[in-house]
Amino acid sequence: MIEFKGVSKTYPGMDTPVVRDLSFTIEDGEICVLVGPSGCGKTTSMRMINRLIEPTEGEILIDGQDNTSMSGTQLRRKIGYAIQQTGLFPHRTIADNIGTVPGLLGWDKARIASRADELLDLVGLAPDQYRDRYPAELSGGQQQRVGVARALAADPPVMLMDEPFGAVDPITRDRLQNEFLHIQEDIKKTIVFVTHDIDEGIKMGDKIAILKEGGILAQYDTPENILVKPASEFVQSFVGGDRVLKRLSLTRVGDVDLEPANGNGNALPRINAEWTLRDALSEIIGAGADRGLVVTDGESNGGSRGAITLDSIRKISHGAVVPRG
Amino acid sequence: MDRILDVFQRRDFIANFIIHIELSVLATLFGLVIAMLVAILVNRSDTASTIAINIGNIGRAVPSLCILVLMLPIAGLGFDNALFALTLLAISPILINAVVGLRQVNAQIIDAARGMGLSGRQILSGIQLPIAAPIIFAGIRTSAVQVVASATLATFIGGGGLGDYIVEGFQRGDIYISLAGALAVAFLAIITEVGFGTLQRTFTPKGLRLAQARARAK
Repeated sequence: MIEFKGVSKTYPGMDTPVVRDLSFTIEDGEICVLVGPSGCGKTTSMRMINRLIEPTEGEILIDGQDNTSMSGTQLRRKIGYAIQQTGLFPHRTIADNIGTVPGLLGWDKARIASRADELLDLVGLAPDQYRDRYPAELSGGQQQRVGVARALAADPPVMLMDEPFGAVDPITRDRLQNEFLHIQEDIKKTIVFVTHDIDEGIKMGDKIAILKEGGILAQYDTPENILVKPASEFVQSFVGGDRVLKRLSLTRVGDVDLEPANGNGNALPRINAEWTLRDALSEIIGAGADRGLVVTDGESNGGSRGAITLDSIRKISHGAVVPRG
Repeated sequence: MDRILDVFQRRDFIANFIIHIELSVLATLFGLVIAMLVAILVNRSDTASTIAINIGNIGRAVPSLCILVLMLPIAGLGFDNALFALTLLAISPILINAVVGLRQVNAQIIDAARGMGLSGRQILSGIQLPIAAPIIFAGIRTSAVQVVASATLATFIGGGGLGDYIVEGFQRGDIYISLAGALAVAFLAIITEVGFGTLQRTFTPKGLRLAQARARAK
């Protein structure tokens, strides 16, 4: 658990703070996304957690302990850290890069090596093929995977990620996001995730903290609540005019109560249960129908699980509760 | 040709050859130590780095012979003065390259290192110095070659070395004595150049060589 208590930061020689009286709590095992326009202090807020930046006022507690209770370097070795350009060390192999923090913590070589292999596996890079390579030999997406693996190396309970998937093309980014969410289901880290992209925030966050210029917390809530009940005009305009559609993209078709697929199913569009409601909506409207036949992978010509109607999608878009898969 | 070989075989030639090497090696070594200490000291400050680079540039602008002569009032004549002056000469190229090399290490890499809990010293020794190594070695190479060449001038302030023969040849009107000295200096300079070139490649980490190759291919 990470608690911000009245945290402010004013840089020397500046009149106005970049972060102002920030108080909120990040629960264990959650991804908390800090999002906002540039100059909103989101990166500064994140960097105050591991004291790369010292707050001017207030305190930050990690599991109830003030983060100033140990030296900055000691603290940082206990917190995973991944950044946009990955900051991989170009003169060290992939395995050595991943082994950075374990090395600082004094693990023996065999343990570091096996941990590096384990993490390469986890992020989808074959250890035999990649452990002895150098960062320059990897693509941007692969480098970002290594960046995430390196942040996880010493199995820290808390991770800070500053636009960790920022420097790759949209398709790779989408894949990395999905993979990371999948990994997070197992590892359940407490993650502070900084992005300027609200769509990434909605996708990745269990909670989203929207900051506005001057480092003021505009809203701190779940993605659903931020989309359904934006707290202010600023939040409303920041999440964008398509917030209803964004909400639909949070829910998968398979998680919705379906209606029985009666009548002539052959004329209906096929909707994959893995799709989001947003995709389903697009497909149904595109087919000129008022419902679609929900199928699961590998049975597109066979049995159906039921039908999803425009009506049920509309209800969900207006805030009907869906159990989140 | 025989007359050149005769000069090479003179007993004092070997002695001066050794003095020349001694002067060059010691001056480069002292210059290296001083330049690296200063570069590491100014590493964290932008202002100090700029000042160091500017002083280095001024040092490079002053001709070698001037430095030797300018040191006369302080260090007098002889080997020590020559060593002192050549050390000053050796500092500039190493200092400039070391300061620039340490500072050009990508800020993101340093940020990642700090964020993972490396101390300032660990970042310097484990990240900055290895990444800057090729640039620093290029500075040492320039410095060493320059010192070997400039050590020839030590003869003007009584420092000995192979310059003695170049001057002696002119004084006695015997061009072969001058040629013997000049050939020996040229030989030493080429050996230094090639030797440090090899060292520079050896001290370039493999990952950096790959990164350089990849950057060129783009």
